[in-house]
Amino acid sequence: MTVIISDESKERWGSALEKELLQSGTQVVHFIANAINVEPCTSCGSCGGKTFGRCVIQDDMQTVLPKIVTCRALVLVSPAVFGGVSRHIKKVMDRMMPIADPRYRVSDGEMIKGMRNQKILYHMIGFGDKLSEAERTAFISLHKENCIIMNVKGRAFILDSNSKTDAIKKIANEVSYE
Amino acid sequence: MNKSEILHMSNNKTDTMNNSNILLLCASPRRKGTSAMLLERIRSVADGGELLFLPQKGSLDEIAQAMQNAQTIVISGPCYINTYPARLIELLERASSIGGFSNQKLYGIINGGMPYIHTHRHGLTSLQLFAEQNSLSWQGGFVLGVGAMLDGQPLEKHIRRKKIAPAFDLFIQHIKKGTSAPDSLYEQAQVPPGKIVTYLFSKLLTVMVEKRIKNHGCDVNEPNWY
Repeated sequence: MTVIISDESKERWGSALEKELLQSGTQVVHFIANAINVEPCTSCGSCGGKTFGRCVIQDDMQTVLPKIVTCRALVLVSPAVFGGVSRHIKKVMDRMMPIADPRYRVSDGEMIKGMRNQKILYHMIGFGDKLSEAERTAFISLHKENCIIMNVKGRAFILDSNSKTDAIKKIANEVSYE
Repeated sequence: MNKSEILHMSNNKTDTMNNSNILLLCASPRRKGTSAMLLERIRSVADGGELLFLPQKGSLDEIAQAMQNAQTIVISGPCYINTYPARLIELLERASSIGGFSNQKLYGIINGGMPYIHTHRHGLTSLQLFAEQNSLSWQGGFVLGVGAMLDGQPLEKHIRRKKIAPAFDLFIQHIKKGTSAPDSLYEQAQVPPGKIVTYLFSKLLTVMVEKRIKNHGCDVNEPNWY
């Protein structure tokens, strides 16, 4: 199953991707980040101690997290905002702490962490109108760092706002795992 | 008090305070954490500055307004999954849509758990892009690795205290003088640990984490709760 989490407040690339994946027979669960209720992480530390692996905030993340832990691929679709993801997508990302592995490991000579669902494929799609080289590079570097710290693999894509359906079809092909 | 009154007051303030009009903005939900400690250190050395905490609920318009009224803005925040927390991104998006910046000087500080600069640096890159897109003047920043462990304690308790504390104090001097802070300041103070230290450090931290979880009656090897 593929989980798409998209910010559709500006452009609806998440829905376009969902359509393409469904057509190719992939099972998809799609959360629209700007339409669900997700509070910011308060850094209370409960998920790393008192309620290990579980977030104490009762909002829509309680529905999102069970889907992420059982999915094969996670795709974040966001407008590229200051070279990163939008506030809606970042809220969801910040709240993924409970499903991360709190232990440290060493990879390529550096300390990293990981996800408790290690088999996850992690992709990011950033879109925008006339994004600068610096914005593109920053967006891709954020995905790269996310992959390192979460010990997962995946790809980052940049979509121009003028892109046609072909572009999302191509991405759908690249992120399908079967 | 309506918006124009606030604006008027701060305009007067700007006239009288000149260069001391520094806004120290804490982007952490934790008021006594490392992000706030670093701002307190700036406030004591730079002799002033208004310390504001990013409200975790409700409108961010007042903070966006305070940013416009300041001459120098210093944003300090934790690193959540390789960049600043969502609430700061929300502020930047809001401030950007309101607009009206006029060459305010912007400095950034980001602190995270890992001992590597690349893990946390994206936060500063984002602030720089925000500055460039909104007519602020980016003045550089400071990446503090192994900052989470401090948990609000002063830099003198940092594992690399001998290099980090003086480097950060030099960074403060740049804020005080209104000059641009080079990346080399924090880069030279944090050389990545070697193989053996890395191995031992990760073992030590893992033991600490496992102990903490066990003390709460949980098992780190349990399958996902969700």
